[in-house]
Amino acid sequence: MGVDINIRVTGGAGQGLHTVGGLLGRLAIATGHHFHATQDYMSRIRGGRNSYSVRIREIPVRAGRRQADITISLDPGHLPHILSSTAPAGIVVCDLPAGTAGSGDPRVITAPLKEMAVSAGSPILANIVGAGIVARALGIPQDTVERVLALEFKGDFLEKNRVAARLGGEWMDPRVPSGHRLPDAAFHPRMILAGNEALALGAVAGGCKFAAGYPMTPGSGILHGLSVDGPPLGLVFEQAEDEIAALNMAIGASYAGARAMVATSGGGFALMVEALSVAGMLEAPVVVALGMRPGPATGMPTRTGQEDLAFALSAGHGEFPRLVLSPGSVEEAYALAHHAMEMSEAYQVPCILLTDQYLADTVVDADPGDFPALPVNRRIVRGNEVPRDAKGKYLRYAITGNGVSPMAVPGEPGITVVVDSDEHTEDGHLTEDHAVRIAMVEKRMRKGEALEMETLPPLLAGPPDGEVLLIGFGSTKGVIAEAREILSAGGIAAAAVHLRQVAPFPAGAVSEILDRYRTALTVENNRTGQLARLIRAETGHDVSGTISRFDGLPFTPEDVAERVKERR
Amino acid sequence: MSGIFDTDVENAWCPGCGNFPILDAVKKALERTGKAKHEIVLVSGIGQAAKLPHHVDVNVFNGLHGRALPAALAIKMANPSLTVVVTSGDGDIYGEGGNHFVHNIRRNPDIAVFVHDNQVYGLTKGQPSPTSDPGWAGSLQRSGVIAGPFPPLAAAIALGCGFVARGLASDVEFTADLMVRAIAHKGFALVDILQPCVTFNKKNTYQWYGKMAYKLPPDHDAADRARAFELSLEWEERIPIGVLYRSGDRPPFEELHPGVGDPPLHARETPPDAVRDLLRKRLFTLP
Repeated sequence: MGVDINIRVTGGAGQGLHTVGGLLGRLAIATGHHFHATQDYMSRIRGGRNSYSVRIREIPVRAGRRQADITISLDPGHLPHILSSTAPAGIVVCDLPAGTAGSGDPRVITAPLKEMAVSAGSPILANIVGAGIVARALGIPQDTVERVLALEFKGDFLEKNRVAARLGGEWMDPRVPSGHRLPDAAFHPRMILAGNEALALGAVAGGCKFAAGYPMTPGSGILHGLSVDGPPLGLVFEQAEDEIAALNMAIGASYAGARAMVATSGGGFALMVEALSVAGMLEAPVVVALGMRPGPATGMPTRTGQEDLAFALSAGHGEFPRLVLSPGSVEEAYALAHHAMEMSEAYQVPCILLTDQYLADTVVDADPGDFPALPVNRRIVRGNEVPRDAKGKYLRYAITGNGVSPMAVPGEPGITVVVDSDEHTEDGHLTEDHAVRIAMVEKRMRKGEALEMETLPPLLAGPPDGEVLLIGFGSTKGVIAEAREILSAGGIAAAAVHLRQVAPFPAGAVSEILDRYRTALTVENNRTGQLARLIRAETGHDVSGTISRFDGLPFTPEDVAERVKERR
Repeated sequence: MSGIFDTDVENAWCPGCGNFPILDAVKKALERTGKAKHEIVLVSGIGQAAKLPHHVDVNVFNGLHGRALPAALAIKMANPSLTVVVTSGDGDIYGEGGNHFVHNIRRNPDIAVFVHDNQVYGLTKGQPSPTSDPGWAGSLQRSGVIAGPFPPLAAAIALGCGFVARGLASDVEFTADLMVRAIAHKGFALVDILQPCVTFNKKNTYQWYGKMAYKLPPDHDAADRARAFELSLEWEERIPIGVLYRSGDRPPFEELHPGVGDPPLHARETPPDAVRDLLRKRLFTLP
């Protein structure tokens, strides 16, 4: 199996967990390994009980692990909680005042983290002292640590960080436990990306030129990405007064010819729903990134869930076609955001990118080859391509075979562009004519049929038939893949299906796959089995059951594998 | 009146509706701007007033109730060379869209906003609107409106709107002139238009407005914000019409927003090399 080490840094918000977590990931890459980092954080600005877990392997890692092998605790008050998630042979390094609960556990090693940090120059460097300790435990040379630190910090602060890491390493030297040393491996340049960053980059690479949003976890990271990475490619970002404004702005920009998007979470998406419907009616291409978190209402703002699948599929009054994509990795977040931009414009439909807090905040290393600069195919018509009536008036909603009407933009000399949220005639003016109504409904629905022809097929891994099939959508992709490996290693031949598109639903393909396995289980971060219901509605097949998790935390491969075994 | 901006779209307004003279004023004003049809975008929400753009042969974005302003803002940001005019009702702009009214005055994009203020929801058959007079008994509030009226001009002046005017639907020339000046103003310009609803508002009629409205005297100093605020509160005895407030010139939102401008967003390319540069920033290499 090779090396598989799970490192966890715990502490309060504001103690630099993110910095040290990022540093450990870079150290993994620098030594030729791969990592998967997840965050578990509370909805607060300072304090609380947060953790940043970095799992290091020799192969690319796409899931976290429940138990940590090495934990650096920057706040010893959390010890009992930490010990419950520490591996039997693991260690917990912390500053430990006498008499702290849990201090008798043999896995606990007391280290003067704060003292070392102060002697390096500042108590805030305790996190870097911790990184030095971990690096030594993994057998990473101090020189490598310093080279990586030099990429992050400069000047006097870099020097202090170097000292902090060195002090941590020297302290650890006589105490290094066996079994955690990373084997030698060749360095390869790797992309380092979080799900939210990858999604924003994919949208920018897909030609997104306007984005608006109102901050809401976990969608804010996408907005941040768009506002930072977008402007160099001509994207204009606007912080909206509310989510209603955000999507109406994006639709306005889309009308003016810009590829446009918004990003939010469930509550914000709820506010956008009327505008989603207007995008359906105006046939305005627009992309909505929906980062799910547990609800209802405010729910658990910083945790993960997949409770908005049914909502995303049905949101918006009236009937209109939509595309709903569910990326399962940073690579897919990038690729599908680009795909969303292309398809949304090609078929003039709203597209929802369904992600969640887990994928949003998951950081991994990835192959640069998986992040190509794909072509952007604009479909705006000009001049003679513009469909007109006998009087020369532009027919924004010209009836066509596949329902897609050539889109021109306002400002084009000789024509005016008329769009209306009322039912409208081909030239865009409101109408109450029932025959026109029927023609327009049919036109919009034909776009849905055309869209269906380009449905991304589900991804099947494992034996082509047999006993167990695990089915998931979105962020569970990596977890299910590894659960399948665990099951296979244990003699249970399992296959996995990952749905990266849920609307239009790949009904034919899923139906055909379901037929080949005795037991089919959906794996979903919700209580009610929304994917199982969707499969039944779309294929007429019942799955055997649902492995569900709704505590606000992501699945781990062990979770899924154990629960599959329980069901056999 | 027939002119270059006429359309043949069937009209759905009541005979005598205050929207008719407002439509005449809008067309006159647009003609006076000298702009070609393709350079103008009329944006509206929902309601009888919001149907106005269908009767003007320019670009039209007839969106959701209350949401004309966010769409108008983004259209202006996407292509600042377009002349963007919002024309919609009091319920639409001040009620459903109140938050956008507040924040777009703060932003100050170069958009002219014409509010057909008839103090009633007409299309939904006579409910009080945000500007209805207290005590007025409309549908849904049969015992009379309790809430105080939303003061659009006072609110706009307080929020820093640089052009605040009140028109009178029945005076087409006067109102058209205000519209021309609002469009010419660089920044958010509000023209609240006193508009009778001949079907549902039997209080604020053509006659009533005719009696109450007075034109601001030529010596009114529109640069005096405090005086403008005072005037904006006049309602019980008489109602001033004209340009109450006009600030000094300041750059509009789209000129201050980095990234907005030439080329318009629809013409911006996504060069693969620029994408690769962006991706390279995420590539971890050891020095």
